[in-house]
Amino acid sequence: MPAPEIEYAVLAPVLILLAAGVIAVLVEAFVSRKYRYVIQTTLSFSAIGLGILSVALNKEVSGRFAEGSVAVDGVTVVLQGTILVFSLLGLLLIAERGFQSFTAQASTLPGSADEQRALASGLQQTEVFPLTLFAIGGALLFPAANDLITLFVALEVLSLPLYLMAGLSQRRRLLSQEAALKYFLLGAFSSAFLLFGSAFLYGYAGTTTFEGIKNQISVAPGNDLFLLVGLATLTVGLLFKVSAAPFHSWTPDVYQGAPTPVTAFMAAVTKVAAFGAFLRIFYATIGGMVWTWRPIIIVVSILTMAIGTIVAIAQRDVKRVLAYSAIAHSGFLLTGIVAFNKSGVEATLLYLATYGFTTLGTFAIVTLVRDAGGEVTDLNRWSGLGKRSPLIAAIFTLFLLALAGIPLTSGFVGKFAIFSAAYESGNISVVIAGVLASAIAAFFYIRIVVLMYFNDPQEDGTSVMIPSPVTATAIGICALATLILGIFPQPVINVIDSLAIFVAG
Amino acid sequence: MNETSQMLVFLIAIPLFSAALLLLGGRALDKVGHFVGTLASGAAFAVGVIEFLAMLRRAPESRAVTQPLFTWIEVGNFNVGATLLLDQLSVCFVLLITGVGTLIHIYSIAYMSHDKDRRRFFAYLNLFIAAMLLLVLGDSYLSLYVGWEGVGLASYLLIGFWNQKPAYATAAKKAFVANRVGDVGLSLAVMIAFVQFGSVSFSGVAEGVEAGKASSLALNALGIALLLAAVGKSAQFPLQSWLGDAMAGPTPVSALIHAATMVTAGVYLIARSHFVFDVASIAQLLVVIVGAITLLFGAIIGMAKDDIKKALAASTMSQIGYMILATGLGPVGYAFAMMHLLTHGFFKAGMFLGAGSVMHGMNDEVDMRKYGGLRKYMPITFATFGLGYLAIIGVPPFAGFYSKDKIIEIALDAGGAKGIILGSITLLGAAITAFYMSRVMLMTFFGAKRWEAGAHPHESPALMTIPMILLAIGSVSAGFIFNMGDRFINFLAPLFHAGDSGHSGHGEKEHLLPPIVVSALALTAVAIGVSIAIAKYGRGKAIPAVAPSDVSLWTKVARRDLLQDEFNETLFMRPGQELTKALAVIDEKVIDGAVRGVGSITLDVASGVRKTQTGFVRSYALWIIVGAVGILGAIAVMSL
Amino acid sequence: MNWLTILGLLPLIGSAAVFLVPRERAALAKQLALGISSLVAVAGLVMATSFDRGVSGFQFVEKYSWIPAFGINYGLGVDGMALLLILLALILTPVVILACWNEAEGGRWSVKTFFALLLILETMMIGVFAATDIFLFYLFFEAMLIPVYFLIGGYGSGERAAAAVKFLLYSLFGGLLMLASIIGLYVVSGDQLGAATFDVSELQKLSLNNQTELLLFLGFFIAFAIKAPLWPFHTWLPDAAKAATPGTSVLLLGVLDKVGTYGMIRFCLSLFPDASKQLGPTIIVLSLISIFYGAFLAIWQSNGDIKRLISYTSISHFGFITLGIFAFTAQGQSGSILYMVNHGFSTAALFLIAGWMIARRNSSKVADFGGLQRVTPLLAWTFFVAGLSSLALPGLSSFVSEFLVLVGTFVRYPVAAVIGTLGIILAALYILIPVQRAFHGPVLPGNENLKDLNLREKIAIAPVIALIIAFGFFPQVLLNVINPGTQASVAALNIEGDK
Repeated sequence: MPAPEIEYAVLAPVLILLAAGVIAVLVEAFVSRKYRYVIQTTLSFSAIGLGILSVALNKEVSGRFAEGSVAVDGVTVVLQGTILVFSLLGLLLIAERGFQSFTAQASTLPGSADEQRALASGLQQTEVFPLTLFAIGGALLFPAANDLITLFVALEVLSLPLYLMAGLSQRRRLLSQEAALKYFLLGAFSSAFLLFGSAFLYGYAGTTTFEGIKNQISVAPGNDLFLLVGLATLTVGLLFKVSAAPFHSWTPDVYQGAPTPVTAFMAAVTKVAAFGAFLRIFYATIGGMVWTWRPIIIVVSILTMAIGTIVAIAQRDVKRVLAYSAIAHSGFLLTGIVAFNKSGVEATLLYLATYGFTTLGTFAIVTLVRDAGGEVTDLNRWSGLGKRSPLIAAIFTLFLLALAGIPLTSGFVGKFAIFSAAYESGNISVVIAGVLASAIAAFFYIRIVVLMYFNDPQEDGTSVMIPSPVTATAIGICALATLILGIFPQPVINVIDSLAIFVAG
Repeated sequence: MNETSQMLVFLIAIPLFSAALLLLGGRALDKVGHFVGTLASGAAFAVGVIEFLAMLRRAPESRAVTQPLFTWIEVGNFNVGATLLLDQLSVCFVLLITGVGTLIHIYSIAYMSHDKDRRRFFAYLNLFIAAMLLLVLGDSYLSLYVGWEGVGLASYLLIGFWNQKPAYATAAKKAFVANRVGDVGLSLAVMIAFVQFGSVSFSGVAEGVEAGKASSLALNALGIALLLAAVGKSAQFPLQSWLGDAMAGPTPVSALIHAATMVTAGVYLIARSHFVFDVASIAQLLVVIVGAITLLFGAIIGMAKDDIKKALAASTMSQIGYMILATGLGPVGYAFAMMHLLTHGFFKAGMFLGAGSVMHGMNDEVDMRKYGGLRKYMPITFATFGLGYLAIIGVPPFAGFYSKDKIIEIALDAGGAKGIILGSITLLGAAITAFYMSRVMLMTFFGAKRWEAGAHPHESPALMTIPMILLAIGSVSAGFIFNMGDRFINFLAPLFHAGDSGHSGHGEKEHLLPPIVVSALALTAVAIGVSIAIAKYGRGKAIPAVAPSDVSLWTKVARRDLLQDEFNETLFMRPGQELTKALAVIDEKVIDGAVRGVGSITLDVASGVRKTQTGFVRSYALWIIVGAVGILGAIAVMSL
Repeated sequence: MNWLTILGLLPLIGSAAVFLVPRERAALAKQLALGISSLVAVAGLVMATSFDRGVSGFQFVEKYSWIPAFGINYGLGVDGMALLLILLALILTPVVILACWNEAEGGRWSVKTFFALLLILETMMIGVFAATDIFLFYLFFEAMLIPVYFLIGGYGSGERAAAAVKFLLYSLFGGLLMLASIIGLYVVSGDQLGAATFDVSELQKLSLNNQTELLLFLGFFIAFAIKAPLWPFHTWLPDAAKAATPGTSVLLLGVLDKVGTYGMIRFCLSLFPDASKQLGPTIIVLSLISIFYGAFLAIWQSNGDIKRLISYTSISHFGFITLGIFAFTAQGQSGSILYMVNHGFSTAALFLIAGWMIARRNSSKVADFGGLQRVTPLLAWTFFVAGLSSLALPGLSSFVSEFLVLVGTFVRYPVAAVIGTLGIILAALYILIPVQRAFHGPVLPGNENLKDLNLREKIAIAPVIALIIAFGFFPQVLLNVINPGTQASVAALNIEGDK
């Protein structure tokens, strides 16, 4: 059996990040604490930098590589590019040292003497960096995966580090670890579904490669039990990842429990990766079954929008509100899957790009609002923020308006693109639902604005930190992107339109 | 095409400018305001006279003159110019308005001399003159509309001149609203005219009718709409209830607006629209009925009133009833209606001024039961008022005799049962008029003094008496002059093409009764009325200071204006108020409630769903299972 | 020369300048705002002089590609209707600034912010009427909400925050429905015209199947019916008007709400003629309900809150405007457009004067006033004149428009016109009752020493009153500008039976 041939250049982005991850582990092991932070940050940022570079080099590429297990085409390039940019921003937040977001020692029991000691030492471990790098690597591979095995591996490489990272919170350790555990258990559960589905599809197609499945569907479509069961369970696995209802329940708890920088990272990167995979599977693989899966996705999409927006109204914790808004946005994004046309692909990619910046920005600002006990996420204590620090409040308002999809913000452009794609496909029901959901969503976003501007600040020690350069940079970039994508999206749209083509056959 | 005259606009412009000046001028003009106002009115009168003489010099067929000013409204084929028209009909009004108006201005100088707002009063008077002139000079129904509501506004302002008294303010509002009801009719008339004839100018509509552009249904609708307008403005049944309260205004106002001019605008409107009514038989019949009812209605109320101004107001209502009735009797009627309108303008204005003079001498007392024997103390007032009295009850050769007698005549000539009924109604009206006017006369100027303590009756100053004297002269001579050789009829004839239909009431046409018999009948009716009055209120009859309460139900009802207000309240106001209350509740509870309801329901759902977020992994996992099963089931269904 | 862009930018720059004024120099900020808005008004009038009244199409057209991917253009241009509404905004803004000189005190934020927001709003108002690209229109339509929201919520009185949110949610809801329709148009235009577009005149070429057209029409219409506001979408207005400062209410009812009726003519009629004709009768009924409903509730408020009263009268007036629009006749539509302008001025006067009364008396209850005619004659007079215009007294501006609306309706729907005409009786009541309560009768305690209008107030109100009277006698000045567009619009509906 000849040695498999690997196109290293094309796979470079993934490889670089994973390699960096490995090195980072070694750094953790061998470099003395003093220098770790510096080295880890340098390493991670340069890795991402190189990654972006190599993605850029791939933009002409379109084909299947590594024995057909990985597809690199325009869509992959866009997704990987987006993922890397968001990772960069996420990493900026993670690298922030001013706030002590991360526990000194993940292994210590909450409230134990060890933890006290670790805290007292004031020296934080930097294991978060290798974890992040691995997660990014997985995220890069996930949407590029072109067979079921790779898909599963990528998923796990992406998820496992995230399970850990969710538990790293410095403050409210118990909540954080509980979240991590839930995330892990449910994640494993859904992975099982994914695996289950893969098995059935293999049983149906006799191959694990996507084009194999695709071809099989085109020759023998219809009611093969294996195909249908495989389809259903695979879908469940993916829907869990994008936290679509009713597979969303983990989201609020994890978003709330995880250290905010990690939440930010997850919210942006995971969503891109998961929807990337969604696109490749539903568009480029099981497209032939569209008449079977479209109704289901429509229902799920509407249900997700409804739950996301309606339940958000009842939330009192800013991170939970944002979690539900993330759920709602998954609902909106699913309309892009429903569309199942070229503009559907473009719209989904555009939406992901716009959404990532905004959500990163919002969580970045959440890290700034603190009191002696750490971040303040109780909304009532955010009242009067407009008085406390007008600039931050203004930027936060911008992000909220973008999430609400108000014109001149990136959110509107994304919504417009994705709804018109869905409308184009004739599925007006989801468009109507989306519009109504937006109306409800507007209500709770605006309520936060009202809180910040029309209520007086309470004297409870809540204050807004002056962001350090790293966080400031992140917020600045996100705000800028939100505005530019809202006002002059054309260049970005051009890029996406020119690239958003799946590899043929 | 009519000749044009460049002067017409000044008729309106002068008083209008004066009004604006007096209103904007502020306290600075307090000293001279009343002179400016009177001068403006006088100037308008002068212009009117000049135009009138110019008109007499022209041939009867081409007497009308117009003055196009500018395009007022033009949208598509809806085109209304601001154009003034002076013809035989409008010139009568111009002279009446400016002439009587000026006299009343002069009278008011003295009458209002103690009021610190005299300047404002004269501003309003001028505003009224301008609006009233616009009403009669407009060449289209829409320009007429402007004057129509303009006089309504002036009347509102003047009735409410002392609006610090809530009752007066309410009276003003009542008048305006009642008029608005009529205005609905006028608006509709304009719309019908536009749709039917593509024009809203008098000439345009006239031609349209001539050309038979409109169905008789449309024509009757148009006529009825116009009648509604007239009914509102001229306080005819069923929109008469505001006139009595309108006496809240200063007496000169009652004389000018609510006796001589504005309230007769309805008659003008119908006469102006003769070309419609001549061919709209149903509408025309309604006109007669309204007139007949109102002339009795007013007369009956008149018998029961102790307030001298209200008694006169009731009689105004009744006299206008005569006029309206006449206009409903076809071509022959218009001229006589106009004649009665003019003579009535003189004697009724004169009597109102007289009443004002009496009040002036009696500390503004209006209750006739507190008068008595005043003839010795205010001889001029007594004389002038008396002449007006003789004129209104229709004693020859005073003005009223000629005009009213003619109306009775043509009423009888209406033919058949109609003629008999109308004839007897008009005769009965004449008798009642004679009764209640004699009653006023007797209670005020004869009998024992029943004055309040501290009343020192005295004759009014010359500024007040001179206008009264002049009007009295008019009341004496007008009828005679007008009737001499039918000159008035002939003057108006070209307008109403009455020439062919026995206008003069002599010879050509068979009469139910010969004129001389009619006059005899009328005079007997008057004699009866007067003698009953003397029997009841004459020498030696005691008149209690307060109206006796042990009177017939009939009298009680009459005292309360035949329950007209009760009628309106139960039929319109109360239901309206109830409806308003109900709507207020609906708005708050139902409509806004529904919106708020949606909101709260969403919140409930939210917190409900939130409860499923137990935080237990097992329940989350359960949801995942449920979802998975759901999807499997769906796919199964889908692929069956 | 890009007249409209410049016109729109001026206030925006101005607002920036006002923002830069140090917060303690409030007076300077006010003078600056007044100066700028007056300048803009003059500029606008100058522009109007070079408007060609002969033609029906858009003038001062500007068009630049903005987001080609979505076929979105930065397209501006005005026809007669848009021009007049822009001028209305330009004239009212300085009037409001002058009239509400001291309104911003007691606000949540600094005084200068209030005036800066007003200027931003002015830009939005110019934009929304000048946009010829539906997307751009939608943009201003939504963006307009933000300054208004802060003006109501930040500087109003009473339940201001709640009222602001209610206003915002209503408008957003409508806006999103409109967005759905806009997306629909976008997609359909992509199919039919080859390239998707938002250009109004392009979109008129679409031929939609009946059901789609109805749906898209409803999306637009409901959005506009909420703005206008038409019964039963009106309940946000009284709350907003009561809470907002008088100045804000003037711009809200005087100009912003006209976007609704403007949109009905500009978009509903021109893009969805068949749907308009199909639903016309229904909308006529709604309009009639609005006329009477608004009037009755105004009468009800005549022993309640004066600001709510005025806002209910506006609901009645908007009923007339929609009535005229959906009568599909030249008279009706011209009347409605004229009505938009006239209602702008008369309502502005009513609100400003009401605001001054409230400021003097520290109460907005009609019942608390009384006998003001004697204490503050000038104030009473100006209110009375504005009121007479509101009840459409002939000789004042509103009469011409209201009458044209009724005549135009009568041509096509006589019954509706007859019913509508009865509304003028109620109008007399809802003006004269409060006039009597507030100005007539004996002077009630607490009113003895109220001050009459001061010079600033006189200067502010004089032009409005002057225009109310002038347009009563010379409406043709405006009608000449309006008619060409109206003729074209009605002709485009080509209703059988019209010659």
